[in-house]
Amino acid sequence: MIDMAIKSSNGFIDKVMRYILNTWERTQLVICFVLVVLIAMSPLVIRSPYYIGIIILATLYAYIGITWNIVAGFTGQLLIAHIIFIAFGAYTTIVLQNKFGISPWIGLLASGVVAALLGVIVAFITLRYGLKMDYFGLFTIALMTALRSLFLKWDFVGGGIGMWVSLANTSFANMIFQHKEPYLYIALFLVVLGLFIQYRIYNSKMGRYFVAIREDEDAASALGVNTALYKTIAVVISATMAGIGGGFYVMYVTFIDPNQLFNLGLNVEMVMAAPIIGGLGSIAGPLLGALLNKPLAELIRGFLTVGTSGTSLIVYGTFLIVTILFLPRGIAGLLQNQYNKLRIRVYGEEKG
Amino acid sequence: MSVQIFFQMLVNGLFNGSIYALVAVGLTLIYGVLRITNFAHGEFLMLGIYVAYWAYTMLNIDPYLSIPIAIILVFIVGVLIQRFLVQKILDDHPMNQIVLLVGVSTLLVGLAQIFFGADPKSIHVPYETEVFTLVGLRFSIPRTVAFVASLIIASGLFSFLQFTKTGKAIRAVSQSRAAANLMGIDVKFIYLLTFGIGAAITAVGGVLLAPNTRMIPSIGSGYSVIAFVVVVLGTMGNFIGALVGGLIIGVVETFAGFFLGSDVKIVASMLIFILILLFKPEGLFGRKIG
Repeated sequence: MIDMAIKSSNGFIDKVMRYILNTWERTQLVICFVLVVLIAMSPLVIRSPYYIGIIILATLYAYIGITWNIVAGFTGQLLIAHIIFIAFGAYTTIVLQNKFGISPWIGLLASGVVAALLGVIVAFITLRYGLKMDYFGLFTIALMTALRSLFLKWDFVGGGIGMWVSLANTSFANMIFQHKEPYLYIALFLVVLGLFIQYRIYNSKMGRYFVAIREDEDAASALGVNTALYKTIAVVISATMAGIGGGFYVMYVTFIDPNQLFNLGLNVEMVMAAPIIGGLGSIAGPLLGALLNKPLAELIRGFLTVGTSGTSLIVYGTFLIVTILFLPRGIAGLLQNQYNKLRIRVYGEEKG
Repeated sequence: MSVQIFFQMLVNGLFNGSIYALVAVGLTLIYGVLRITNFAHGEFLMLGIYVAYWAYTMLNIDPYLSIPIAIILVFIVGVLIQRFLVQKILDDHPMNQIVLLVGVSTLLVGLAQIFFGADPKSIHVPYETEVFTLVGLRFSIPRTVAFVASLIIASGLFSFLQFTKTGKAIRAVSQSRAAANLMGIDVKFIYLLTFGIGAAITAVGGVLLAPNTRMIPSIGSGYSVIAFVVVVLGTMGNFIGALVGGLIIGVVETFAGFFLGSDVKIVASMLIFILILLFKPEGLFGRKIG
């Protein structure tokens, strides 16, 4: 009896394992699912608002990372200063709320639209003319610098002083909450949405075109892929999603100014670190990277106790360097190696 | 605008542009030889500024006399970065190279914030605001020194590349890594040397800026952007192009500052950048690509 029970349960476990390990994509989805569930349940264990705050930012960075992964990871376009879209989104949401009294929930959507427009402009100027990798990256940095100057001079959006979320009326409609948990679930909703969109793109014909452009743009073009069109689409999708993320960002941190936002240091922390460390171009990479990065960075900052923003720059800079030198495919690459071994054990050599 | 103001602004523009030229020469040298775009370039200028600050406050050395110290220290930093980081990814995908250098840039800014503080610093020297007048034009002492020193150092480097054996080896590697290797040139050594020189010459730009600049650890990124604009304008990898491009951008910025206000003068450089990228991506001194 016991033997049979073990055997049948073994058979069940075996079936589950076979299902999960069927493809690397499916395994990554299961990893993402587990991580999302863990984040969702984290407030049950973690009571401290400080730690919840770290998880919220990690979750938001995962979402932002996903948006960058679509354009940089899938399509291979080095849109370095992606933070311009986040900044446009953030400013849209807060201007609509502070100046016109429009709820941030609508503001988030408007943020997506505004960032999308900026994305169209960026793509139109650069990609149509086939700007090479580093030229494109330089262009985005130069654009960010110019935008910072313009925003610093633009009094309507507070100029150099920046803009605040008024914390007086906590309400659902104003997206201002007394406790941190609601922010966590909004961020988590964005991550789930981002993962869904990312996976749909990855598995679509368009996603294949994206990857073809990344691997060899000339070859893709020769095979009839309209590379300019698909690069534009990648930039615009990514920009739209980043704009929505920016809208949420300002509601959570409650204060923005041009020097803080149009800033390469924040860009590295918020946009680039998670997908690169997690594994650029993979499905689970941004989420894995963000959940490792942010808590680790806070931990190290706690150890160093120097108390300036310098420590987080040192931490993220070191992360990027170490990843590129020793782990160029990121955590996801490391997991994929384990996956390959496990798959051979479960399926046997013939299918591995 | 009177002729007087026009020439005054031209002079100011050329003087500002000389620093850009120096920084861009460093960037274009590294690109020409190693074929990587140094996204951490402005940070070498930042290091130069803080060497001057440190030498002035700790050792009481005049900023201009700290140029040799800056050259030696930042040369060593450049060589170390090349030896232990950049060398390992020279044959990698450009994405990896750029991400690594963005990481280096972030790390250096962070270190500067820890060591020097995130708050603005400045050096006060007696000649800071002194001016002399020549043919009706006013010349600020620090800017004149910066202009002359930039030209001397740039022509020194040019002669080094043109006439010495090592300089010729550097140019040979920039033309063809494989052929230079076959001719018995130690390519790895040339890479170390080039990255060190590129970093050091940029640091000199920083020292020359020190007497009248608000120093903050993130000052480099602005100069990185301008150096990129200059280098693309003057054709990536072209030494003379970087010099001329730097002076052009300096003049354009000064005039744009006059008409638009100094806060938004970067927008003018940006506009030039876009126009060049769109209509002449090979730059002023390049042959047509493709």
